[in-house]
Parts: sequence; C-alpha cells; structure tokens
Amino acid sequence: MTNSSRPLPQPSRWSAGYWEAAAERRFVVQECRSCDRPIMYPKRVCPHCLGDDLGWRASPGKGEIYAVTAQLAGPPTGFADRLPYVVAIIRLDEGVQLMSNIVGDGALEARIGDRVSVGFEDAGGTVLPVFRLDESEVAR
Amino acid sequence: MQKVRAAAVGIGEVPSGRFPERSEIEAAILACRDAILDAGMAPTDIDVVMPVGALASRHFNVDLVFSRLCEELGMLRSAKMNVQVMSGGATSSSMLAIAEGLIAGGLARNVLCIHSDAVGSLPKQAGIDLFSTTGVSEEWEAPYGHNMNAVGALAANRYMHETGTTEEELASVCVALRQWAQLNPHAMFRTPLTIEEVLASKMVATPLRAKHCNMLADGAAAFIVARAEDAPHITKTPVYVRGHGSLVTHYTVSQDTNLARLGFEEAGAEAYAKAGIGPEHMQLAQIYDAYPVWPLITLDGLKLCRGERAGAFVAAGETSPGGSLPMTTNGGMLSQGHTAVGGGIAVLVEAFRQLMGKAGERQVANLVNAVETASGGTWMDSHVTILSKEY
Ligand SMILES: [Zn+2]
Repeated sequence: MTNSSRPLPQPSRWSAGYWEAAAERRFVVQECRSCDRPIMYPKRVCPHCLGDDLGWRASPGKGEIYAVTAQLAGPPTGFADRLPYVVAIIRLDEGVQLMSNIVGDGALEARIGDRVSVGFEDAGGTVLPVFRLDESEVAR
Repeated sequence: MQKVRAAAVGIGEVPSGRFPERSEIEAAILACRDAILDAGMAPTDIDVVMPVGALASRHFNVDLVFSRLCEELGMLRSAKMNVQVMSGGATSSSMLAIAEGLIAGGLARNVLCIHSDAVGSLPKQAGIDLFSTTGVSEEWEAPYGHNMNAVGALAANRYMHETGTTEEELASVCVALRQWAQLNPHAMFRTPLTIEEVLASKMVATPLRAKHCNMLADGAAAFIVARAEDAPHITKTPVYVRGHGSLVTHYTVSQDTNLARLGFEEAGAEAYAKAGIGPEHMQLAQIYDAYPVWPLITLDGLKLCRGERAGAFVAAGETSPGGSLPMTTNGGMLSQGHTAVGGGIAVLVEAFRQLMGKAGERQVANLVNAVETASGGTWMDSHVTILSKEY
C-alpha cells in the first residue's frame, strides 16, 4: 500500500476498461449488447439477461445527487488528511447509480437533487472519476 | 397463515461493552451454558450447533467453524452438525429461519444458535477500517473514503429528504433507546441522554453527529430453537416463531434504488401474512438499529406508527418506556453496544426474553406478540420475524 494506505481500485478482468478510460479522462458506462441496457458497477455477465457480450458506452457523466454526506471525522485509514470530504450516491442520466466524491466549489453544501458532472482526480497514479456541482447549483 | 413449527426455549447472554480480559471463546461458552440451563436442557439434547461468523479474530472464527464449542460444552458424539451461519447483521433473523427450516424438515430437533465477538476491544482505527469493508465494495466505494458512518448518513440524508424527518426526531431515536438501556444491566451505555446532548455532539458524517453513531462492543448471546410441539414440554415460557419475511435490496449501498425504504414493506407484508396477524397486534418492536435512521425506515415499512410518520411517533415517546409501542428494549446497538453481528442477535434475544417474561425492570406487561427485524452489511436486506407467546 502506498499513499498513506488510501485504498485504490484493483481492476478485475471485466472492469479494466472502465479504469483505462478514466486514466484517459474519459467516462464510460458498461453496456450489454444483447439487451442494450447500461450496467453499473461493471459486471462479468449482464445482470438483466446473463449475456456476456458486454462493452463500453461513452457517457457524458451527468446526473444528480441521490444521497450525500460530508465526512468530518472518524475516516477510514488513508483519508484523515482529506477531511472534510464528501461522499455521494449519484444517479446518472443513464439511470444507473454509483458512489463517488463531490469535489470543488460548493461540495460541502451539496444537496439531494443537485446536478453534477464527472471530473477526474489523480489519486497516486490511479485516476478516479469524481463529480462537481454544475455551475447553476454553485450559484444557488 | 403458516403452521407454527419452531419455538425458542432458552436464552443466554453476557454483558456488552469493552472486556479485554474476557476472550471471545469464554463469552461464547458462558452464553451457551446459560442458554442450555435456561432451557432446562443437557448439552446432549442439542443436535445442531450454529455459530455465527465472528469478525474480530479469524482464529476464533475458525474455531467456531470447526466445532470447538461442541468440545467445550460436552456435545461430542451427541451433536450431529456444527455449521456456521453468516449474513452479517441479518444473521439473527436468517439463522432463526434456517433453524426453523431444519426443524420443520425433520433435520434437527434442538438447535443452539450462538454469537460471540470482541470488536469492542479492537484498536479504534482497526474497528473503523473493519466496518469500512463489510458490504463496502473494495473496488468501487473504498477508494472514495466510504465507511459505515457514511452508510448511516447517506440513508438518513435520503430518508429525511423524502419524509421531512427533522434532526430532533432523528436524535429522539437515540434518546428512546438510551431510556431502555438504563434499565438493562447488560448495556454498554446506561447514563441518561437528551436530544440536546445528541445535537450538541460533534458532527461526524452529515447529518450524523457522534451521539447518533454506535460504539463497537464485545459481547455474546445464544438461544435454543426447538420443535413447536416439544416446546411446552421443555419450558414454561416457549416463544413461537409465527412468520418470517425478507428481501435483499443491495450489496453496496450505492446500488439501492430505494434507500429511504429498503425492503421492509415487502418483508413485513410477507411476515404478517404468514403469521396471520398484523401490525395492530404487535406490542413490542425489536428493531435492528446501529444508526437512528434504520428504526425509522423499519417502523414506517412495518406500518407500526398508526399512520404517523415514524420520526414524529418516536419523538412523541411512543417507543420509550411507558409508550404505546416499546421498541428495542435492550437499548439496541446504539446503547447496548455494537457487537458486530451480535447487535442483531441481542435484539432477537431481547424479543425472546420479553416474551418469556424474563426482562426484569424493563419487562413489557401483558405481552403476547412481538416483531423482530434485522439487516446485514450496509442494510443489504430487510428481515422481519413475528414471534408470539401463544398461537
Ligand atoms: Zn443484458
């Protein structure tokens, strides 16, 4: 473990494409070519039809906050120097959900329903998709 | 309505808290011994031993898997099977359902269910890190600093948004549980707590403050499940299993599409239908907590608040001592202590204790029916069990 033990993703054979895209500052969502549905988090087989003809769809990385919490104390190992930080569940416009951090202007005031857009953060060699509040939300 | 097939006939428990001198195996042995004696049984009456998965020590858990309790408690060559059951905090309900199923299928006669763990004696950061891996995806969530307080906070945030529940109402859950814990000699926290004290405590994970969060504890509890037809011959105080309902709604909390509800409405409807009685018959609600939002979600889903919002119902004192629906009278994980999986086991054992009339100072009068609930990991599932003194 490096970087004061902050846990970093260890991609699986079927999720590597997601992290490779993130490394190039591209955001993708897994899709099933048999039933045409988006899948999050990436899976080995499609949970809707159990097919395994899966690929990646470029995503604009836009959505809204489904739930959010600002972490002020008692973090897991590797996050003490990041306090305060914001953990959120984001519902993408594609209809799937994922966890991420809300970063940037207004992050600590982020609320349910706020519109967010993807950004990228370099976490010691691994690029993590993170989200920022859209400007209209910050101006609120 | 389903045929009643199983009953709890004995319980045992050791106090929860920080007991660095008391090993997990010692606590397990004592809780099992008390349950066997409480049932008026001999160790050789037990044919199946079900130890719950323990988290703090892999070595202890391996001992549980490999029949150590059968050797410690005189069950060698009488016990037929020692099998671990584990679904995190939901294991109370799932283990009872599995025991009931084995009994109903003729595969077991008397099942000893036992949990022991010592997560309270872990160093503080080790405890935080341990619970940042239980139902938290290593690849998709841990890199973002996700942890158990964040789970309780995300659900509280969503629940308050959807229902209009206030911070004071959220705090009132902690206060009501503490009022019960003051009457429980096995509880970790027994000093009075006020809404003002909760709201004055340090913000940890918005909207949760330090006193909204549970403390890890060491503890152990056990119970024995027998055939319903045998139960009245074993004990004067059998507690019958009337019906169980459950639903899995996620692995990682970010994948729940209805975080303010989970699956309690569906699980409750199933349990009530099997039991043939409904929310209006429940006189005690033994609700899995850990964080104050979960009992509110559960009370709503089980329709236990007579049409009121759960937050308003709890804040009005309805679930406190003297209220119309006593809730989690052991004090829950928020006050008895979070013994890992055992938080749920303690909630279930308290349901049995109350229905057996053995709850001492906190005994609920004229009790016949109770509802017990549980959930595992990051509240991955919703379990509901209806229990009765008679049927
Ligand atoms: Zn598919």
